[in-house]
Parts: sequence; structure tokens; C-alpha cells
Amino acid sequence: MIIIAEKLNGSIPSCAKAIAEHDEAYIKDIAKKQADSGATFIDVCASVKDGELETLKWMIDLVQSVTDTPISVDSPDAQVCVDALKFCNKPGLLNSVSGEGNKIDVAFPIIADTKWQVMALLCDDTGIPKSAADRIRVFDAIMAKAAEYGIKDSRIHIDPLIEMLCTTDEGEGISMVLEVMRHIKSTHPQVHISGAISNISFNLPVRKIVNQAFAVLAINAGMDSAVMDPLSQDLRGVIYAAEAMIGLDDFCAEYTSAYRDGIFGQKK
Amino acid sequence: MSKIQEIATLVENGKVKLIEAAVQEAVEEGVDPTALLNDGMIAAMGVVGAKFQANEIFVPEMLVAAKTMKKGVEVLKPFLAGDSVGKNGKYIIGTVAGDLHDIGKNLVALMIESAGFEVIDLGVDVPAEKFVEAVKANPDAKLVGASALLTTTMDSLANTVKVLIDAGVKSQVKIMVGGAPVTQEFADSIGADAYTPDAGAAAVKAVELIA
Repeated sequence: MIIIAEKLNGSIPSCAKAIAEHDEAYIKDIAKKQADSGATFIDVCASVKDGELETLKWMIDLVQSVTDTPISVDSPDAQVCVDALKFCNKPGLLNSVSGEGNKIDVAFPIIADTKWQVMALLCDDTGIPKSAADRIRVFDAIMAKAAEYGIKDSRIHIDPLIEMLCTTDEGEGISMVLEVMRHIKSTHPQVHISGAISNISFNLPVRKIVNQAFAVLAINAGMDSAVMDPLSQDLRGVIYAAEAMIGLDDFCAEYTSAYRDGIFGQKK
Repeated sequence: MSKIQEIATLVENGKVKLIEAAVQEAVEEGVDPTALLNDGMIAAMGVVGAKFQANEIFVPEMLVAAKTMKKGVEVLKPFLAGDSVGKNGKYIIGTVAGDLHDIGKNLVALMIESAGFEVIDLGVDVPAEKFVEAVKANPDAKLVGASALLTTTMDSLANTVKVLIDAGVKSQVKIMVGGAPVTQEFADSIGADAYTPDAGAAAVKAVELIA
């Protein structure tokens, strides 16, 4: 599982406070902990109203002062993402574009001939599509653009948009989003299927159980990348176990070594 | 238990499958349809909203209660005087320009409807001008609700409120705002009439604002 570590995000109250108070130690500490627990990318999202780019630079510099783990540059504004790439010491993940407006035309030319990866959300100017067919239509449009700019499938992460379980349609559950995942997996096996796992459990009690159940089903449908908290031990263990069960971890080698490394199942 | 109480309990507990037969039975027994609506269902949704605000129930429980009420109202409608449903007037709602999030907005719309309003839902990514047009096209609308989920669309929310105020519609409607990054302080700073943190609170506030 490719882990995009989610904790440095100004929409999380404790992180927003650290940003407001210029608490360098907080940013560094969270970055280090996430990197040490095996994050693939450290997501950095300012989520401030004014001075977003400057805030991103401040956060990225702090993260890079404690770890070499690549940065996931996170803003709903594609131009801000593009402008922040230069702050990063090495290629990471541009998070994110979508079918909305000119986001793709802003981002794709800049990353075309680089090693940067990109997260693309399956929404467009019509909103967040309600049906699998409509999300796949957005996916196809994004992939056509990627081909145009020569961005290989393996550099693309698709977020099919995970929405809260508790307001899904009757009799549907999460079948629609799983259908989108399976479609992507079968048509573009090299594309990474991603998304923010914890979105699934909004407004429900004992969210971590819902998150874990979702991870199992999503992994089975092809999810191999996730925006998540790498420090949540139980979720990490569930992911390793589920991956082993679908044949991605022969002899449970990764499961056992992750356990030995204290990623899950042990009090650190 | 009186029939009205029985209906209220069914709504409160989200008994979707039982509500239609129960409302039908109550009407046949001669219970006043308007009382069934106001003292039964709308009152029950008030309780549901309060419980949600107090963290006693969860979103899906609120959702299913509202759906139960909707089903009950469908059965009741033919027996009601024309203006009983939506007796509190029209409520115009939408997610502001640049923001595509609709789950929270839809929950608010559902609770507002359950509180006796006729909801006009403009959808997502709604330009400020479209809010103004909707207010002008609906002289009987008394409230507008605008939602923004992203920090980056809070400016759009501010603009929406400004455009509404500049268009001079404040003599007709009051403006409510909400969404994850929105606070009372922010609502005050942009000139909104009210901020509510959740759908239950929004329904209570809406009734209060037109009183």
C-alpha cells in the first residue's frame, strides 16, 4: 500500500493551531513520526485563507528538515500545487487535480517530463458524479489528457471519491465506488487507486472499525494507495493482512516484518 | 398512547416501514391531519434535531427519521389543506460557487423541509447571482441558506452574502450560512444573519428566524 500520510493538514484543528502559532516543533514532530512509520509521501496541506503558498513553503521546509520522504503537495488550487513544487527537494505527489475547470491543463504540462506523480479526483464541473458510469466518464477524460501529455499510468493515482457510508443510498452501500475501482483496475492495471479512507466513517461512532472494514473491501477492489494516518496501528495491520489474503504478500513476509518493525500489534 | 404521539414516536425512531399504514389508520380514525403533521411529525423532527445536536443520535438516524416523515407526509398530503405542507414558507438553499460538496447541504435541506418549509434546492457550485434570482423569483421565500465546505470557498461564501445584500434582498430574506470551516465569527464578519453548526441546529434556527 502506498501511504500518503494525512496528518499535516490545516483542516485538522490541532494542525491549524500549529500553523497559526508557527509551531515548528509540532510540524517537524508529526512529519518525523509519519515518515518513521513508513509513509510513502508526507502530505502537506495549508488550508489557510490567506498566504497559502507561503504557508506551504514553511511547512514543506520543516518537513524536509527532518525526513527525505517525498512530499505530497496538497491544495484544492492546482496553480498553488504547481507553484509549490519548486520548494520540494525531490519529486513527490501533486495532490490534486480533477475534471474541474482548467486544473489538468495547469498541472499536467508542468509535471509531464518530470518524475512527479499526480492525484486525480473523479469530479468535474458538473459536481461529484452520483453514478459509477459518470465517474468513469471523468476518469476516461483524465486518462486521455494524461496520454496527451505522455504521463504514464504508473504515475497516476485516482481518487474515485470516497463518501461517507452513513448517507449512501438504500440498498447500495459502497457498491458504486467499488465498481469504479474494479473498472479502473481492469482497464488500467498500472494506475494507482487511492482515496481518503477515513472519509467513509464520518458521523459514525467508533470510526476506526468502519475505516478498517472499508480498507478490506477497497483493497479487494484494487485500492493500492491511500490517504491515511500511518500511525493508526490497527488499520495498518488490517491492510497488511488484507493484502496478503489477495495474494500480494507471499509467505506473509511483509505482514510479519511490519509486525516486527512495530508498525502494528506492539506497544511502542 | 394517542395516535399523534404514536406517529411522532414512529418518526423519531425512523420506522420507515410502519409509518404509511399508521398515518393512513390515524386519518381513517378521524384524527385531524393538520395536527398529525404539526404536533406529530414536525414536532418529532424537532426532537430528533435536538437529540442530534446533543450527540445522542448519529447522522444516519437523523436521516432515516426525516425519510420516515417524508413518507408519512405523502400519505397525509391529500387530506391536508393546500398550504399546510411548507407552512413556514420557502427556503432557498445551495452550495456556493466553486464548491461541489452537497452531502451536508442535502442534510440541512432535509431537516429544513422536516421543519415545515418548502425547500428550493439550487444544487452545488451556485453563482451568487443565481441565489439573487431565486430570491426575486420567489417573493414568499423568507430564508436563504448557503454552504461552503472548503477553506478556499469561504471567500465565495462571503461573496455570495455580499451580492445578496447588495442586491437589496435583505428586506425579504434572512441569510443563514454553514459548512465545515465556517464559524460564528466568520458568519458575523461577512454579514450573514445566522450560523449553525449542523443540520439539526439549522432547522431550529430557521423556525426561530421567521417567528
